[in-house]
This record gives sequence, structure tokens and C-alpha cells, in this order.
Amino acid sequence: MIRRLLPVSLLLLVGVSAAAPLETTDVSANAFSWPIAGLSEEERHAFQRGRGLFRQPWVIAPSHSPESDGLGPLYNRLSCVACHPANGRGRAPERPEQRMRSMLVRLSVPGVDADAPPRPHPAYGDQLNEEGIPGVPGEGRASIEWLEHEVLLDDGTKVSLREPRLRFSELAYGPLGADIQTSARVGQPLIGMGLLDAITQRQLQTLTDRSRRLGLNGRVNQVDDVRTGAPGSGRFGHKANQPNLRQQTAAAMHGDLGITSSLFPEQNCTPAQLACQRAPEGGQPELTDSQLNDLEFYFAHLAPPARRDRDSPRVQRGERLFQRLGCHGCHLPSITTGEHPRFPRLSHQAIQPYTDLLLHDMGEGLADHRPDFSAGGREWRTAPLWGIGLTETVNGHTEFLHDGRARNLTEAILWHGGEAQRSRDGFAALDRDAREALLAFLRSL
Amino acid sequence: MYPPDEPKHTEACHAGLSRRRFLRLLAQGGLLLAAAPQPLSAATPPESVTVLTGYPDEMMRVFEAAFERAHPHYRLNLLWRTASDALPYLLQDGAGVDVYWSASPRTFARLKAENRLQPLPVQAEDLPERIGGTRISDPQGHYLATEVAGYGFVVNEAELARRRVPLPRDWPDLADPRLARAIVLPTPGQVGFASVLVDIPLQRHGWPRGWALWSEIAGLSRLIPRGGSGAAEEVAGGAAAIGLTIDFFAHSAIARGMPLRFIYPKHGGINPAHVAQLKAAPNPEGAQAFIDFLLSREGQTLLAHRDIHKLPVRPDVYAGLPADYHNPFQAAARGGYAYDNDAGRPRLALVASLFDTMLAQDHARLVDLWSRIHRAEDRGEDMRAIRRVLCRPPIDERAAASDTLLASFANRLEGNRDAPGEMERHWRRQVDSTRTHVETLLDGANA
Repeated sequence: MIRRLLPVSLLLLVGVSAAAPLETTDVSANAFSWPIAGLSEEERHAFQRGRGLFRQPWVIAPSHSPESDGLGPLYNRLSCVACHPANGRGRAPERPEQRMRSMLVRLSVPGVDADAPPRPHPAYGDQLNEEGIPGVPGEGRASIEWLEHEVLLDDGTKVSLREPRLRFSELAYGPLGADIQTSARVGQPLIGMGLLDAITQRQLQTLTDRSRRLGLNGRVNQVDDVRTGAPGSGRFGHKANQPNLRQQTAAAMHGDLGITSSLFPEQNCTPAQLACQRAPEGGQPELTDSQLNDLEFYFAHLAPPARRDRDSPRVQRGERLFQRLGCHGCHLPSITTGEHPRFPRLSHQAIQPYTDLLLHDMGEGLADHRPDFSAGGREWRTAPLWGIGLTETVNGHTEFLHDGRARNLTEAILWHGGEAQRSRDGFAALDRDAREALLAFLRSL
Repeated sequence: MYPPDEPKHTEACHAGLSRRRFLRLLAQGGLLLAAAPQPLSAATPPESVTVLTGYPDEMMRVFEAAFERAHPHYRLNLLWRTASDALPYLLQDGAGVDVYWSASPRTFARLKAENRLQPLPVQAEDLPERIGGTRISDPQGHYLATEVAGYGFVVNEAELARRRVPLPRDWPDLADPRLARAIVLPTPGQVGFASVLVDIPLQRHGWPRGWALWSEIAGLSRLIPRGGSGAAEEVAGGAAAIGLTIDFFAHSAIARGMPLRFIYPKHGGINPAHVAQLKAAPNPEGAQAFIDFLLSREGQTLLAHRDIHKLPVRPDVYAGLPADYHNPFQAAARGGYAYDNDAGRPRLALVASLFDTMLAQDHARLVDLWSRIHRAEDRGEDMRAIRRVLCRPPIDERAAASDTLLASFANRLEGNRDAPGEMERHWRRQVDSTRTHVETLLDGANA
């Protein structure tokens, strides 16, 4: 709960710590919804407008609400908040008959030769859009079946892990083909993204050097910057396939909702989808630059939560174990942001994101075998851990990893492989008390 | 190869047809369709039920998941429209909508008048037609109430204490000069639900006294163009002490940890939300199943979910809710909901227009006039005559009840942004003239 004894003057900044103004001290279900402190009145209005766009269901064009029409023609959900409830984490369906409500499936086919990058599926594009506006068939349905297997920790504790098996049905535009590459993804928390956007390309290179020094192979994904047309350094997405927050935002609007923008001006229809191509548009583009500005501002200024229980001996022990097991090699505890190109408030700030933003080989267990730009099928961007301890409070579950397979933090750790295998094995070798201490530390983030 | 755009699950389509035939046979046998959810086989894709709604994702996701769990042979296809946008969409041919579910009574009334709604089986024994003076369901059963929401005050107790203002219990408590600039008030010209909010005190206190009350409250308020959670956020942030809003916006903010309290006024009002099946529904059985689910105990109980917090229309559901959950049936028994929405509905658009003309336009000038009146009264001066001039609405209650006038506003729905007509421009000139006169009177009184 928000501390109810905050002085009135502080109520204007409800949930924001005076000691660390970038972080929120709110630990309620609203913890991921506060702006960083100190926004001007104009900035607060931009934040509120962005929040309105984030929560707003989009409408089929034409409509009497031109500012919010243009849904689809193909889409996954009606609004951003559907996959990022309370700015937090989505989850996977429990059973095959349940729909993906905050999850989607990326698609591709291999490149023309072994060295060429993967291509979008010729009929379905790079993402399965389950829904279509009236007259445009949705692309089909993806469902998940969970396969369980057991792993044994060194003290004899058995842990059951579940692994998703994707199944497709009702495919409206022909078979997916034998060479289809798929990757299921749940919506990720949106906190602190502007601060990560302020990590410069030079810093990413420095982080790569650090990774090498630690005996790891962290590297930057080289992706397309659609605004400049030049290669860019990947920062956002499970495989760091977007170079900046603005492009990440526009890409999600385009891929998930079918909303065009100046960065992605074409409707999300493949050549095989004729009804999709003929469907009415909600403007050219449907998301104006002004709206994109507001959405970007909103995401950029969502405050990460402050750490909790720092004085707890158990949490402190867990933090030491985090270091000793080498988790910090990828989950970098702290960094100072560089110069943000548009939001100076986010520049030169000391932050604790617990990520190095780099791609790492995570082993065969987590591999989706779907390359993405220069990211390989076993590589994933280090997930930020800030706010991870509030997942249950904010979203009512504790499911983690890119496809929500881990049902708690222990399972998430045990799925780590590849470069993280040694840390994973170190965790499995701990006694129960030590494991609990490490988990208590993670819950304090 | 399949031709583009042609769904290819031929076997499944045949399976769906035979299943529908089977369901029709069941229905002819008098069996309840919704009572027999069938397990979904891999070869039978669920049937789509298309629901057009004005509700946010936070609410719809809860109902979507629960309905599909209870009826795995159906899949909800959700479409979204604002109240003013839903009507033209539903009036076009081939909209493909099975069910319309929204809190927009006037849209339902128009759809009924246009003969677009399928009468629903009346379930009077479980679902009262009225709460207090408010009729919540259509007497002919073309649309049924699924839930109601209560109007009232969201308050920041710390901010009220700082101003030494007690908790407001009823509308006249808001006309307190200590609340200057501390009330946020959604404007009915821009916020759909605010028209009824304005009409509640007009009915309770009568036309002249009601508009006088609104003039003074508006003179103390900041007007906000946003409905939804806008008022609650303003109040939670300390930018205001009181916000006029609907209960669920405040309660969901409270559930998310905001330091707020919601007060139902002693003489309040409720806004019913309705559900209806379109006559042209492509899937009438699915539509009926969804409507039955909304009105079932399970569906009604979902309304108490943290992210929804609306008031069920089944009285028996309240026994299973927390003791402090507002029970409108009990409040109505105490006389709290005398508001007659049948009487109010025809004039809501007119009331919104009058509010806009008399109070919202050039609002800063109104604030200044009330500030001068309150300062003069603080000095002990008698401002009753000036108050009477300022508070007089552009038309009296008899003129407001004119069929001709009401007919000219009949097509204006919630949130409509039509340009003002000649009548409104005339009122505007009248209000300007009144304010100039009041300024002269205040100058003469050295106020």
C-alpha cells in the first residue's frame, strides 16, 4: 500500500521516493504505473495522453473517433494494455483450449541461403494475427500444450519444469509449411524503458568488452533503424531486435494492433491477404506522430520501483550469492545512463536495471531456433530484473521468461543454460536456505 | 493451394453446421442451451460470438476468460466503440454483431426504436426492473440491465482536512466556498456519463434551485474534459479535494492503492448498463449464451472484481460480497435512489447543452463572479439578489419540457461534439448578457 501518512506536498508525487527520484516506492498493484518524479505540467499532460493511448481500445475504421480508428485489418488484441496489464507482464494460457490473451507468436522462414537472415512467412508475415476485422479472416489460432519434466537439485529437491509445444489451427491463409520458425512471447513489463533507451551505442560496446573480460559472449544485435535506414544497435525486445523505444513502440502498434505510423506506414497485410489489402484505413498513418510522441513519452517515463528490504540479512545474503554465482555477469546491477537524444531528464542517471542489454547464448532448453537479425536461435537479450519482485502484486502471477514457461523464479533460474549454465548449476547446488536467500533478493528488486 | 482469403477448414465448417442443427433441435425440445457447455474437440473450432462494447480491456478480459471457460464451444470476438459511435455502426447492415453491451441507455433506446433488437426472455423474478425510482431494464425486454454504477464524490480526506471541510454527504455540501478550485467536475458536453450526474440534483431540488446549485458548484470547480479515471487521479494527486464521478472509477483506483474514498450522496443516482441481442445477430444461440452468462450468479459476481467494481443487478449476489460493498437495493430502500431516469432521459442532451452554455463556456468568468460573491458574503454583505440573477438558467422548466425543443436534441448522444445550433447561440448571448449584468451589480456593490 502507498504510505498513507505522506505529507500533502508529497501526494503530488505519490509513490516516488525523495532519495531516488527516478524510482517509485509504491508497492501496490499500481506500482508500475507512476511517472518518474519531477515532470513539468506539460510533461505530465503528455504522460497522461500517452497513458490514454496505452489503455484505449482501437476501433475499426471508419468511425466517428478518427483519433482512435484503424484497428487491423489483422491484429492480436484491441489495446496495448491487453498484453501489458497494469504496465506489467502477460502470461501464457494454462491449457490448450485457452486463448492467448497477452501472448503472441512470431513467425519466419529461413533465409534464401544459410548465411541470409530469416524472412517473414510469405502468407502470414512475421507474426500470427489471430483476429481480423469483419470481412478479413483472422490468420488462425495458436495454442499451447505444456510438457512437464522433472529436474533434480543437488539436495534431492525435485522441481517440475514445463515446456510449451505450439499447435496451430484454423489457419486461414494456407499451411505454415515444414520450415516455419516460431517463437511464442508474452507481454513484458514496461517500466524504466526510457532509461534503457538512454544507454548509448558506445556504452553497449563497453558492456560487450566487459562481458568478454568475464568470460561471457554478450554481444549487441545489429538491427535496422527504419527511420535512418542505417544499421542500429538492438536494445528492446526479447532478442533486442529494436534499436530504440520509439521504433519498439511503433513496431508493436503495427504488429499487434495493425496500426500504421510514420515508421511503419504500410498495412500489415501480406500479398496473399487480399481482403486485408482492401480494408479501409483509419488515416495515413493511423497513429499520428503526435500520438506516437505521447506513447513514447509515456513508456519512457514509467518509473521503475525502488528496491525493498535492503536491510534484511536474508536479502543481503541473497545479493552476495547473486554475485558469487556470477548472475551479475549478465544481469548487470547498475549503470549510469548516457545522453538521451530527446528526454534530457533521463540522461546521466544511475540506475539498477539488472541487465546488460546484450544477447547471450541461453542454451538449447530455451532456444526457439528462430534467428532475429544477428541474434541466433539460442540467444536472448538479458531480461531486466527491476520490478520482478512485484510481479505477483501487479499481475497476480509469477510467470517468467519469454514464453511464460517458468511458474516461479526457481523454475526461471533452472531454465538458464548456455552462458548461464554455470550460474544455474551453482543455484541447483545450493542448500534450501541459500536458495531461499537468493530468491528473497530477487523478490526485493 | 487454397485461394487467398478463403477459410480452408472445410471439415470443421461441416462439423459446425451439424452442431448448430443439433443445438436447434435441443432448443426446440425446450432445453436450455447455455446450461450444457460441451468440451471442445480438436476438430471443432469454437463458434464466434461478436460483442460490441464500450468497456475497457481491464473489464472485458475478465468476462472473456470466464465466459470461454464456462462455454468452451464459444469464442468471444470483441469490438469496441464509443457510445456516440456505436449507434451508426450498429445501424449499418452487415455489422456482424451478436451482442451490444455498454453503459449507454440512450443508444439502446434508439436501437429499440429502430427495431434492431431482439426481445429477450424476461427473468423478472431474479432481475428487478427498477432500483428505487430508476428503471434499469426495458419493460419490453429488448435490453436488460447487467449492472449499475453509482454517481458520487471521490474525495481526498487529507486535502479536505487541510481545507477544514467536512466530508460531503449530499450535493448542497459541495457549494462550500472553502472548496474553491478544489472540485473537479467532468463536463457533460464531453463526458458521456456526466449528463445524468447533472440531472440528479436538478430532479432532487427542482429546476431553479438545481441550476443555482450547479452554478455555484461549477464556480468552485475545475472542469475536466476527461471521464474515466480522470477525476480520481486529479484527487489522488492532491490537485483537487473532491471529484464528481462514477463509483467504479474511484473504487478501482482505491484498489490500486490510491489514497481515496468514495461517497455515495444521500440522494444519489445510478446509471444502468445494458445488454441486448441484435436482431441480425449471426449467432443468436451464442448471443443468448453470453447474455445468460452476464446475468448468471457467476457473471454477476465477476462485477466485484478489483479491476471492475460495478454493482450487480441480482440482489441475491450481494450476500456473497464484502460487507462494505455498496448495495443499491438497500440504499434505494432508504430513499437514496429516487432519481427517475424515465423522466430524465428525454432531456439529458438538453441538460448537457444548458450546462455547457451556462457554466462551462467562458468558465473562468463564472469562477471570478462566484469568487467575488463569496468574498462579499464573507464580509457580511447580502448577495441574495445577485445570486438570483446569476443562477437563473436561460430557460425555465416549462420551456425545457417543450416537445419541440426536446425533439431538436433527440439525436444527440453521449459525448457528441456537434456544433451548437441557433438556439444554443441565443442562450450563449443571454448568458453573456446576464454575466455582464452581474458584474455591473457587483461593481455597484463594491464586491
